[in-house]
Parts: sequence; C-alpha cells; structure tokens
Amino acid sequence: MKEIDARGLRCPLPIIELGKQISTLSSGEEITLYSDDPATEPDLNAWSRMTGNKFAKLAEETYLITKN
Amino acid sequence: MVRVTGNFQSESPLDPKAFEVLHAAFESGWANPGKLSQSGARAHQLRNQALESIAASLGVAKDSILPFSSLSMGYFLGIQGICDRSSTLIHGATDRKDVFAIAATMDHEILPSDLHGKILAPKAQSPTSVLALHVANAETGVIQDCAEIVGRVNSDRVFLDATASGIRKPISCEYSTAIFDSRSWYGPADIGFLVVNKAAQWHNPFPHLNAAKVNFDAPLPLIIASAVAIENFSSRVTEARIQAQVFNAQLRQAFSQIPNVDIAGSLDSTLEHMLSASFMNCNGEELLRGIQNDGFSVDSGSACTADDLEPSHVLAAMGILTHGNIRITLHPDTTQSEVDGLISSVKSNVDRLRS
Repeated sequence: MKEIDARGLRCPLPIIELGKQISTLSSGEEITLYSDDPATEPDLNAWSRMTGNKFAKLAEETYLITKN
Repeated sequence: MVRVTGNFQSESPLDPKAFEVLHAAFESGWANPGKLSQSGARAHQLRNQALESIAASLGVAKDSILPFSSLSMGYFLGIQGICDRSSTLIHGATDRKDVFAIAATMDHEILPSDLHGKILAPKAQSPTSVLALHVANAETGVIQDCAEIVGRVNSDRVFLDATASGIRKPISCEYSTAIFDSRSWYGPADIGFLVVNKAAQWHNPFPHLNAAKVNFDAPLPLIIASAVAIENFSSRVTEARIQAQVFNAQLRQAFSQIPNVDIAGSLDSTLEHMLSASFMNCNGEELLRGIQNDGFSVDSGSACTADDLEPSHVLAAMGILTHGNIRITLHPDTTQSEVDGLISSVKSNVDRLRS
C-alpha cells in the first residue's frame, strides 16, 4: 500500500500531495497519509466530499484514504 | 508598492460624514457628561442625542443601550451579564472565539453546524441554560434562523451577536441582550453597543460598588460619530443590500465555474455583502498575495494566513475546505469594475497556483 509521510508539511501541501498520489491509483485502492498539520483533518472532510474519495482516521496523524 | 484599487476586506474607511463630525465631537464633547458643569451638561446632551439616534436606527429603547469600547468586552457584558453560577452556556460551533473563551470558564455545550453553516439545535434543552447565538456569521455571512433555534433550545435567556449583521438584518426573535459593532454601519472601530432588552435578566458582570451606575462606557466622540454613521447608512442600507446582492451573485457565478471550489452558504442564506470561497490545492497566503499584487485586498480564513497557523474554526465546523480560502466583503462604494477586476484576478491566480 502506498504511504505519504506529510509530517512537517503545512496546509495545503498534504492535500496537494495526496491529490497527486491518488491520481495514480485505481478505484478501491488505498493510501495511508501521515500528517501533523491541524488543517489536514477538516480539509480531508471537505476534500472527501468534493472528490468522492473516502477517508478514515486510523490514529492520531494517520489517515486511510480509499480511491473512489 | 502596488496601489490597492479595490478594497474587499471587512475593514473599510470611516463613513465620511462620521469622519467630519469626529473632529468637531472631540472639540465639543471632551467634558465628562456625568459632571455638574456647563461643559458637562453639553456633553451629557450630545451623548443623549447620539444614543437616541442609534436606538431609533436599531429599533430599541434609548435606555436599553450601553456603549462599550472593545468587542471582547461586549461579548463578556452580553453573555456573562445574563449568566449565574449555575448557568450552562449553549453556543454554536461557528461563534466567534470570544464566545468560546467565555464558555471555557463555565459549563457549556457546543451546537454543531451543518454544511450550509446553519446551527443545529436539538430539542429539549434545559430552560435554565443560556443561549449565545449569532444573527449572521462574521466570516461567511451565513444567517441563522434565530427564532427557530431559540424556540428549540427553549431558554428564556438569550444573547444575540449582531456584530456582523448590524442594521442589515433586523433581529427577529426574543432575546435578553444583544451586541452591535459600529463598524457594521461604517462607524468608528473600538466602539460597540450592548442592548439590554430584558433588564430584569441582566446584571453588570464587572466588579462594581454602585449597582445603579454602570462602570463601563465608550469615548463620547466615538458615540457621536457612530450615531452619524448609522443615520447615514440607514438611509442607504436598502440600496446597498440590493447592489451587494447583484455583485455577490456575479462573484458566486464566476467562482462556481472554477473547478474544485467550495463556497460557503448560498446567496439566499447569507448576508449580501459577504462571500467566503475556498479553492482546492491553492495556498491561501499565496492566493492572498497574488490578488493583492493585482490591486485587490481580501481576507482569508486559511491556516497559513493566521497568526496561530490554525485553520478557521468556522470553516472546519461547517466542513468547508479550509485551505485556499478568501473572504470578500462588498462595501456600498464597491464598483462594477472592481468586481470584474477581482473575478479576473482570482481566476488567474487560482490557475497559476494550480499549474
């Protein structure tokens, strides 16, 4: 499974990097995002709604994204 | 330095008529209205006339108005003044940080917001609670259904934050206290007005020895300038709202053509002169600077533009994209060419930052 370590990056870089990486995946494939930016979680909510991709928070600073 | 040709920030210059009287007010309103002297009596008269004028424009009794000199103080006076030691404060997730700060000192409950910015109030709240509610949001302009929320929460003590709505959106529900910001009608900064609608429910929360005399106020010249500004804006508020609605519709239409944009609320559910839009994959600070370089000033709720690097709690509570955010305020003197220029600038800067 792909992983993005965006810890230390400020918004919107984690979401931009996620957008780049997820475009290389097929539907149903997953990617793990590590981010300590406080804007990431609220932005994943909006990003998920706008793009149709799904996300779940696995742990602090760890998110599982599933390609739509 | 780039010359700013279009101001779309929430701050704006003082109303020209208010600016004119400010100088005269400092000349004639320097005395203490509470003192027994000729100059004191004159100051007392000027203060009364100004408060009568403001009360008339707000549609409230003159004796119910108390000026204060900072917004944080206004929130404290309005909320804490209707609370007692056993109160639970109920407020919205999109309220100003001042409300959160007061809530942190007591039992409190936060009502969530939906995607459109509307506060969700479940039924069957405790009637002994105190409700703090904004008439319209200061970041997004989203207007709350105050009467419905007040009915659902079922508290008889209600504080209303009318600092963003001012006289654009008259209060339409039962309330105990409300605060207004003079800047909402293009009056001076650092002055606001507390309206005590239900005197029996309010007490002065500041330490004081004489309950019959309030121990807070605002400078007399600022009260007079506020009165002149509200008189002036009252006479053209309808025209300003109509014009802002036209411009706001144009901006929404233009921005909605840009892919991956998140616009807060709808034209019908927000104050006409306010608009918040977030553009995915754009850095808010760079977007702000790009627009600034084109000669337009806007605000932003993105974390990268905030001192504490925290995203806007209002956008986060709504579930709106917090990065790449710009906030636009339309003023009565905003022109069509400025709106056209801003649209063009936003489009080109979003394109540039995404490429």
